[in-house]
Amino acid sequence: MSVFAFLGTLEIGFIYGLVAIGVYITFRILDFPDLTVDGSFTLGAAVTATLIVAGQNVFFATLLGTLAASCAGLLTAWLNLRFNILHLLASILTMTALYTINLRVMGKPNVALIMEPTILTPFEGMFGLPDMVMKVIFVAIFAVIAALLVAWFLNTQYGLAMRAVGSNKRMAQANGIVVTEKVYIGLALSNGLVGLAGALFAQTNGFADSTMGIGTIVVGLAAVIIGQSLFASRSMWVIALSCIVGSILYRVAVSLALNADFLGFKASDLNLITAVLVALALVFPKLRSEWKAKQAEGNNG
Amino acid sequence: MIRCNNLHVTFNHGLPTEKLALRGVDLTIPSGEFVTVIGSNGAGKSTLLNTIAGDIKSTRGEIFFGERNVTKLPATGRTKDIARVFQDPLAGTCGDLTVEENMSLAYGRGKRGTLAFALNNKLRAVFKEQLSRLNLGLEDRLDSEMGLLSGGQRQSVSLLMSALQPSSILLLDEHTAALDPKTAALIMDISSQIIAEKQLTVMMVTHSMRQALDHGSRTVMLHEGKIIFDLEGKERANYEVKDLLNLFAQARNDGEELDDDKLLLGS
Repeated sequence: MSVFAFLGTLEIGFIYGLVAIGVYITFRILDFPDLTVDGSFTLGAAVTATLIVAGQNVFFATLLGTLAASCAGLLTAWLNLRFNILHLLASILTMTALYTINLRVMGKPNVALIMEPTILTPFEGMFGLPDMVMKVIFVAIFAVIAALLVAWFLNTQYGLAMRAVGSNKRMAQANGIVVTEKVYIGLALSNGLVGLAGALFAQTNGFADSTMGIGTIVVGLAAVIIGQSLFASRSMWVIALSCIVGSILYRVAVSLALNADFLGFKASDLNLITAVLVALALVFPKLRSEWKAKQAEGNNG
Repeated sequence: MIRCNNLHVTFNHGLPTEKLALRGVDLTIPSGEFVTVIGSNGAGKSTLLNTIAGDIKSTRGEIFFGERNVTKLPATGRTKDIARVFQDPLAGTCGDLTVEENMSLAYGRGKRGTLAFALNNKLRAVFKEQLSRLNLGLEDRLDSEMGLLSGGQRQSVSLLMSALQPSSILLLDEHTAALDPKTAALIMDISSQIIAEKQLTVMMVTHSMRQALDHGSRTVMLHEGKIIFDLEGKERANYEVKDLLNLFAQARNDGEELDDDKLLLGS
């Protein structure tokens, strides 16, 4: 892998680290498998890109992209909580609706940002660093700050109550925690992070595209699983940061697989590689515990 | 004080499976009284408890805590006054949170969670001190996952948690039923201690007539959604399990045989 390719991998790894933290909040904290993210990633990118092209301030555009994605999360939560639609199905409905909404927001399938100012423009050429390195540092700072904020939040009384909702609803209620409120906030936070990732992705890569969100959920899950199997910890700080590390490792694994000539993969094989990697990451902990159990048996017998 | 006025609860209203779980329960529990509630399966004991807690909406009737009408208040809104311990040791705590995290949740019961850290050393000291009362060595396991504790240990912690935040009412729903006899006795001991110490108004649902007579100062029996007798004072002091059984048979004028052997096993 060339340095150039490696920097690109890092950059995308950090951006999807935000997705991973969002996915961690829904899947692991709230126990609410939320597929909305496939749509809200694109929504964040689409809103931001459209506003930038329309001449709006880049920070304002990024903020609105993030908020729009949060609203998508709220919609999913509403469908689930108000009408008792199964969480998975509610999120699939929102995701499907978002596909159209994203096309409407952009007015076309693809918005280019190549010649536009982006959130990175003010930092270009700072400390004489090449743009490629600057981009990586910029998204890394974003991802790490987001991770620390989320970890802090989950350690607060409010955040702990949210964790209780995902762990044992009945207990949460018996202790006066309003379950619905925590689910709304959690989904808004999660999708907001994913929307922010989409907004950053559009600006660092120079485009927003109606199909860019496909598979976001799987990538996010892969990052969470890889991160958690490498750094088994109960500390929210470690977990949040391990989401980012997991995301980067996942990207590195994918680009190694794609770049290894002897494997003969093409860029279009990406989704198969992703699925296999996620499956391996899911299977590995189980195999390890089975193997350990067998060893223990051997020792005793 | 808890006051229930003509409380009705109907499940599956209008369906072939319609069940009249409570059929006009009038019950007043003065502050500081410990009432035990007995009755066979399906008598409405748990329904009554869950209706008071707010998990089940009453079809008719009213519930008051003191002078406050709480009939329309959801369960979460009642937690300022009510602490609960469930029958299932797994229900009262979060298995994948640590002991101290669970206790912190209970410590904030009925208050709005803020953005302050949920745990700090001052709180840990309080939790440690409370846990040491159990003599189970749990004070050294503050950061263990709750799921790693045994059922009895979890129930003990649930019980402590119910007393962390001042409340006026404690609802115990067969909270020793899922435990072995030794642990059950321990849990019952700690319950009595906490209740005496905090002068709580208590309603304890139990399957065991022995337990119902040995604890508290008043015993109420439910049958088919109604209170069929209400014992207290001297009269109650002279009662034995067999007297309760006789009373139960008398009250059931349909002359049905007692079909629930749990009721007969007075342990």
